[in-house]
Amino acid sequence: MNSRVKKILLLLLVVPLLFAASRIQDSLNRDRAALGLTIAEPLQNAPPMLAFTTVALGGFRGLISNFLWIRANDLQQDDKFFEAAQLASWITDLEPHFSQVWAYQGWNMAYNISVKFKDFSDRWRWVNNGIELLRDNALRYNPDDVLIYRELSWFFQHKMGQNLDDANLYYKEQWAIAMSGFFGLDGTNIVDLLEPGNTNAIVLREKYKLDPAFIKKVNDQYGPLDWRLPESHAIYWAMMGLAKADEHPDKIKKDDPMMLRREVFQSMQEAFRHGRIISNPFNEGAELAPNLDIIPKVNDAYLQMMAESSAGDSNHVANAGYKNFLRDAVYFLWENNRLPEARKWFKYLGERYSDRPILENDPTSLPKNLTLDDYAFARVQQDVGETSQERITAVIQGMILLGYLDLVIGQNNRAAGYQMKAQLIYDRYQQKWAKDMERLQLPPMDKLKREVLNDMLDPKNDRIPFAGRAVLRTQLGLPAETTNSVAPFAMSTNMAPPTASNTNGVKQTH
Amino acid sequence: MQKILAITWLTWKAAVRFKLFLVIAALLVAAVVGLPLVIKDDGTAQGFTQIILTYTLSVATGLLGISTLWLSCGTLARDIEECQIQVVATKPVARWQIWLGKWLGIVSLNAVLLLIAGGCVYGLLQWRATRLPPAEQVKLRSSILVARGSAREASQDAKIEADTREVLTRRVKQNPEITRLSEADKAEVIRQISEQVKAVYQLVPPAYTRVWKIDLGFAKDSLRGKPLQLRIKFNNANDYQPTTYMGAWLVGDATSKNVWRSEPMSLASQTFHEFEIPPDLFNDQGILTISFYNPNRTALLFPLDDGLEVLYPEGSFALNFLRGLAVIFCWMALLAALGLAAASFLSFPVAAFFSMAMLALVFSSGTLAETVAEGTVGVGNEEKGIAGHSAFDVLVIPLFKGIVAVTDLTKTVSPIDSLSTGRMITWSQLWSAFSQVVLLLGGIFAIAGIALFYRRELATAQGTQ
Repeated sequence: MNSRVKKILLLLLVVPLLFAASRIQDSLNRDRAALGLTIAEPLQNAPPMLAFTTVALGGFRGLISNFLWIRANDLQQDDKFFEAAQLASWITDLEPHFSQVWAYQGWNMAYNISVKFKDFSDRWRWVNNGIELLRDNALRYNPDDVLIYRELSWFFQHKMGQNLDDANLYYKEQWAIAMSGFFGLDGTNIVDLLEPGNTNAIVLREKYKLDPAFIKKVNDQYGPLDWRLPESHAIYWAMMGLAKADEHPDKIKKDDPMMLRREVFQSMQEAFRHGRIISNPFNEGAELAPNLDIIPKVNDAYLQMMAESSAGDSNHVANAGYKNFLRDAVYFLWENNRLPEARKWFKYLGERYSDRPILENDPTSLPKNLTLDDYAFARVQQDVGETSQERITAVIQGMILLGYLDLVIGQNNRAAGYQMKAQLIYDRYQQKWAKDMERLQLPPMDKLKREVLNDMLDPKNDRIPFAGRAVLRTQLGLPAETTNSVAPFAMSTNMAPPTASNTNGVKQTH
Repeated sequence: MQKILAITWLTWKAAVRFKLFLVIAALLVAAVVGLPLVIKDDGTAQGFTQIILTYTLSVATGLLGISTLWLSCGTLARDIEECQIQVVATKPVARWQIWLGKWLGIVSLNAVLLLIAGGCVYGLLQWRATRLPPAEQVKLRSSILVARGSAREASQDAKIEADTREVLTRRVKQNPEITRLSEADKAEVIRQISEQVKAVYQLVPPAYTRVWKIDLGFAKDSLRGKPLQLRIKFNNANDYQPTTYMGAWLVGDATSKNVWRSEPMSLASQTFHEFEIPPDLFNDQGILTISFYNPNRTALLFPLDDGLEVLYPEGSFALNFLRGLAVIFCWMALLAALGLAAASFLSFPVAAFFSMAMLALVFSSGTLAETVAEGTVGVGNEEKGIAGHSAFDVLVIPLFKGIVAVTDLTKTVSPIDSLSTGRMITWSQLWSAFSQVVLLLGGIFAIAGIALFYRRELATAQGTQ
């Protein structure tokens, strides 16, 4: 056989050998991962340049990575952040499977770098950079790593959701603006996203890595949630982490599922306290209010948490928090004029903690000694904390004012709650302090209401815009505004009856 | 001079013949144009400009630095090894002229390459700036694409020293035992008193206001109608991590209408913050009065050296950029001298290795400086408070001190850092760079290199081809 034929045969032999090697490679990689023989698994989903770099640099990756860490640290100490995103990108690219590296870099951006800026828009950019690093890059290379899911959930729950950062309202606003396009103006529209070919769903999946089907699952389990708020997303990512932990029980640490469940539970707590956005079209502002519809779900989450925490600190924390949650649930429901539910939960609170005081600093406040009204008044008094005639008058008028403002923006239930609260304070004060002393008596309730209403409706005062005054007049059944018009003296100033349809999209479940 | 220029011309011809000039020029242009496409910025026009400036100039400096060392080692060492130098040396040209001619050739080559790279960077920045919205352009041209000077509070050192002496005198009267302390203990007592006195000047207690009076000097006349910037930083003793505090600023004469009040600001500790203040808030004497009110429950400390600085536009970016390139050029001139000096007595590979080792030494001068500050190369135990010690300290520490002193001469100004933060590189800084880096250090290498080259027996070298 001449050499030319030999060469051709050898070249032909290369093809099946390469094919065979490629078939074996997959199985070798699987075995390598299963047996824990190496932590440098081949990169999935990586661009060719990155895949090549990670292989070509071999052990030198660590050295280069160290150098970049040092540079990043030095620059950060000198308050030079313009390189931070690039350095973080290189560091994580060099150690793509090292989830702690991703977690640290994301946390550094969202927590350390962000607060170094005085402008809230700059801070938000860095919080968002941290989220994007984990969500868009870390999960791309580590789709099953529960640590990344936990960190993402934490950013939403703690950095954006809580009020530890002065800019937290700005973060919430920016996130709500971004999410409104997908979930509608009330943040609850999920049905449309589930339709095949829905463009919003595609963008949501591609840009924000959110799966509408999983969103529905989370919403069914813990909702109805307002998906414009960070807590809902904290629950989503924690639930996603739990799903991954179930899929790969061999790849997780013992505490991982508990930590993720705790994320869900804490986010539920936060969602209960401020999980509803109330928009004010007249001043283009918004405020956060409790999401009372998820009380049963939050209750379930507490019970599950307490059942799963075998003993020790977490159990104690959950128990203490549970009582506070029930107390707040009753009070918030009462405040929002949802009295049947308030009674139901007050009864449950009494049964659950029959031998413990339910008011702070009052050891006699056992459930059997209090009615719902007693309890609500005591909570109001704790909130108000005043007994002077002048201050009480101001507090009552403040509540009347808030009630009217709620009527303007269609929050009739809460408006009725304020009315009730004002009346309760009024009645209790008159009974307790002014019953036998005429000089301590408050002016008649109607007079207090009329003063507030006249002040609000007077166009000269310009307390609320014309459109707002028109809404208020309609709600109260007053005639349309004329020049110098104020509330007619004999006109009733009672609130309009609460309705289920005008509560800004929050569905009544009870 | 003609002979030197002839050698310079030969060096240029060699660089072109070996395609070195073309390759380096192409690499520089590719880096400058390509980097913006792959770099990840922080999402702002300002950040993008800063990172482009930093990375493109760093890459240009790095590429030129390596090629300069390589070329300077190669051009002389290979000429000797390949016996070409024998042809030149037999001509009526002195060896110092050969050496200087080669240095000038490499340096002029660098000048042209640096101008090409600098021109590309400058053009790229200006082109990108013009594509920004007008508001962003104004912001960029007032903070980055500008040469800003700075003014600080007059030094308080004399006052602090006087107050320290006064407190010490009082203490000695109360407790005469102090005079009997050892010299080291006395020094420690004085240091502690000085720190306490300094704290009074730096601290802003809760609900207190601190006032700075900054003299803008001669710059005041050129600053009429121009907004200025405040660069501030404060610390809090309790913070391990940056924490935000509220603060309110009042700039100008509080008794007149010519005053600016800030909105309450949420500011992080341990961080520099820059913000703009309206123009013309200083008085006729050029004194700018700045007050800070601390509404927090904790005291805040504004360091005397960098707690508050007023930044003002002092010159154009173009001229500043040119001065920055000139400083980089000075470094290249030094590297050329280093490479040639090494090649004057070493073969090409050894000369290249030696030059790189020297460069590595300069880059690790920070570590050397730390060792000098600690006073030992031994490892101590911080937790137990045990200082390190090594038998080599007697030799090594003075050596490190010498190296740090020499390398410090090359660090008179950091042009890339100054350009990326819009800070002025002054003519005096440029002169310092030139005199220390080129004349002094470059001169030492040149004298050593020429002396060694004179003593080298060129005819002993055997041709490799």
